[in-house]
Amino acid sequence: MQGDRIASLNYAMRTALPELRNVAADNPEVDVRMSVLRFSSTAEWQIEAPEPVENIQWTDLKAEGETHMGDALRLLAARLTPEAMPGRQLPPVLVLASDGYPTDDFESGFDAFFAADLTNSAIRLAIAIGSDADNDILGRFIRHPDLKPLKANNATDLVKYIKWATTAPVKAASSPTNSPNPLQEFAQEIDEDQPVTSDIIW
Amino acid sequence: MKVPAAGAVMSGQSFATLSGRQGRIGELLGAGGQGEVYHVVVDGLPFALKWYHQHYTEIDTGLRLRLERGVRRGAPTTDFLWPLDLVEVPGNSSFGYIMPLRKSDFRGIRDLISPPPHRLELTLASRIILCQQLAHSFFELHAAGFCYQDINFGNIFVNPDTARILICDNDNVNIDGADASIYGTRKFMAPEVVRRESLPNSRTDLFSMAVLFFYSIFGWHPLDGRRENDISVLNPELEMSLYGTNPIFLFDPDTDENGPVDGVHDWIVARWQSLPHTLRQLFIRSFTVGLHDPSLRVLETEWMNILNLIPGSIHICHDCSFEHVISIELKKPTAPSECLCCGEAPEYSPILLLGSRIIVLNIGQEIRAEHLDSADDATTIMAKVESHPTRANLIGLRNLTNAPWRVSLPEGTSHIVPSGQAVRIAPGTTIEFGKSIGTISDVNMLEPTS
Ligand SMILES: Nc1ncnc2c1ncn2[C@@H]1O[C@H](COP(=O)(O)OP(=O)(O)OP(=O)(O)O)[C@@H](O)[C@H]1O
Ligand SMILES: [Zn+2]
Repeated sequence: MQGDRIASLNYAMRTALPELRNVAADNPEVDVRMSVLRFSSTAEWQIEAPEPVENIQWTDLKAEGETHMGDALRLLAARLTPEAMPGRQLPPVLVLASDGYPTDDFESGFDAFFAADLTNSAIRLAIAIGSDADNDILGRFIRHPDLKPLKANNATDLVKYIKWATTAPVKAASSPTNSPNPLQEFAQEIDEDQPVTSDIIW
Repeated sequence: MKVPAAGAVMSGQSFATLSGRQGRIGELLGAGGQGEVYHVVVDGLPFALKWYHQHYTEIDTGLRLRLERGVRRGAPTTDFLWPLDLVEVPGNSSFGYIMPLRKSDFRGIRDLISPPPHRLELTLASRIILCQQLAHSFFELHAAGFCYQDINFGNIFVNPDTARILICDNDNVNIDGADASIYGTRKFMAPEVVRRESLPNSRTDLFSMAVLFFYSIFGWHPLDGRRENDISVLNPELEMSLYGTNPIFLFDPDTDENGPVDGVHDWIVARWQSLPHTLRQLFIRSFTVGLHDPSLRVLETEWMNILNLIPGSIHICHDCSFEHVISIELKKPTAPSECLCCGEAPEYSPILLLGSRIIVLNIGQEIRAEHLDSADDATTIMAKVESHPTRANLIGLRNLTNAPWRVSLPEGTSHIVPSGQAVRIAPGTTIEFGKSIGTISDVNMLEPTS
């Protein structure tokens, strides 16, 4: 990636971080952590051991020519195993941000990635950088009929998905399935026959 | 005889744009250091042409490339008077660009600090809406990988009636991180740019934008306090200290060294106290840690989250017209128990609490789809505050949606408010508008602290 694209990617990530921190702060029962993997002419972990999001500062990426997405997917696959992610966890959220033109062997990268144990339970999201980003590649990463890659200017929408991903299981666990719908209860109280004076509703 | 400057063009001259549109130069609209701006007609439609002085094109060697890229990429939002096409004229070695024409109902926001009678008077709501739009436009610019480099008063115009804005002078816009062509404008540059340790970039833009917001809301500079007030003649060393090497925020919570001076900054202090602490916190971050650490500056999305809540929550003093923002403090809608300007006891209208949003229920106030988390277009009017047709002491909220509301009254009963009907506004009432639930409440009054 180069020039305005890398700048756009950096801005998207900088903007998403405070929103992520807010989600973490609003959900103290969930320990939201983040790792960062960068890929250009090589792929390497920038933040390898998952860090609490409140400690993370985005260090700007520099423009480089290559896009070794295949290497990145292989490296990621190695982390998506029960051994690498021990203990009780919410599904991992994977976000791929790229202008979408891999310059290495990405096919074998995708194979390794989708063969990893935790890939299918992960929530996979993507950010397409630049107006002519290759959405097909990003779509193959997401592999979900209803989810489209986000654009850099709505990177904060990531947070909506992540919120959903991180809070949904918690909420589901804490509300018993047989509890009445609170709105329904409310509806039953309404007495349609009760006359309403014209100085309350008119 | 007046000799035209090298590279000048003339009214009446015809030209073709680089993409092949036909145009004719009309009257001169104005001139600046870099060139002249003309009214032009291109393919039958009015536009503005900025035509550069030849010597300027020789100094600013990246200009042409920046403009070409700008034209190719298109405007980030319609608020920008963005370059649309380049223009050359046969036999002339300079060039220019076409941009949308700014209509005469727009005024430069520099007039917010002009002495009367030229001062631009805007309501607090308009000032906030102005900042919201700036945040939105600069966010789109930055998210596309660009930076503006010279955010300042002189480049922003506002229509005082609608609060719509326009951002001019987009010829310095460049890829974020590329070598800048300018440093910026006095009093708007980030301290590291004042000290010449950095060229403008998206993070220095964020600083300049925060200054612009402070100026727009207060009509005052955030770093001008006691120290600036004590200076009789500003010289370059003092200026470097105030804005470059030793800047201190007027409202720095940790030091009073550059704090407000009684009798000089009173109105600014009152306005500061009238704003929600969430907004004050963003200014504090911008002008304390954000002075020294560019990565801690407030991002546009953070400003927008807070600014969005303000326009509907403003109470205007009946006695002196001073504007107070009702905000949530300790989980309750709260405002001062006496006017921060004239000291009179305020009479607050009831408010509607929608999550973290407060809407003051004055007659005429509208509630729009964006306030209700509704799927409708953001500006669709969903409800309106009206007085009772016969009983003047009653006000109600009319349901302008096509679905009924469920309400529960303070007396404990529940009712349906059909589409088109109104429900009495009384504190303790809860209204279910589709997805959102609103509560009508009184304002909790708190003694102002200084
Ligand atoms: N799109 C426009 N529509 C109408 N008037 C415009 C437009 N753009 C600029 N002008 C007017 O033309 C004049 C010169 O504009 P401009 O700011 O581009 O000059 P400049 O050389 O950049 O000035 P400066 O010396 O401040 O840098 C100003 O009076 C400005 O208000
Ligand atoms: Zn007053």
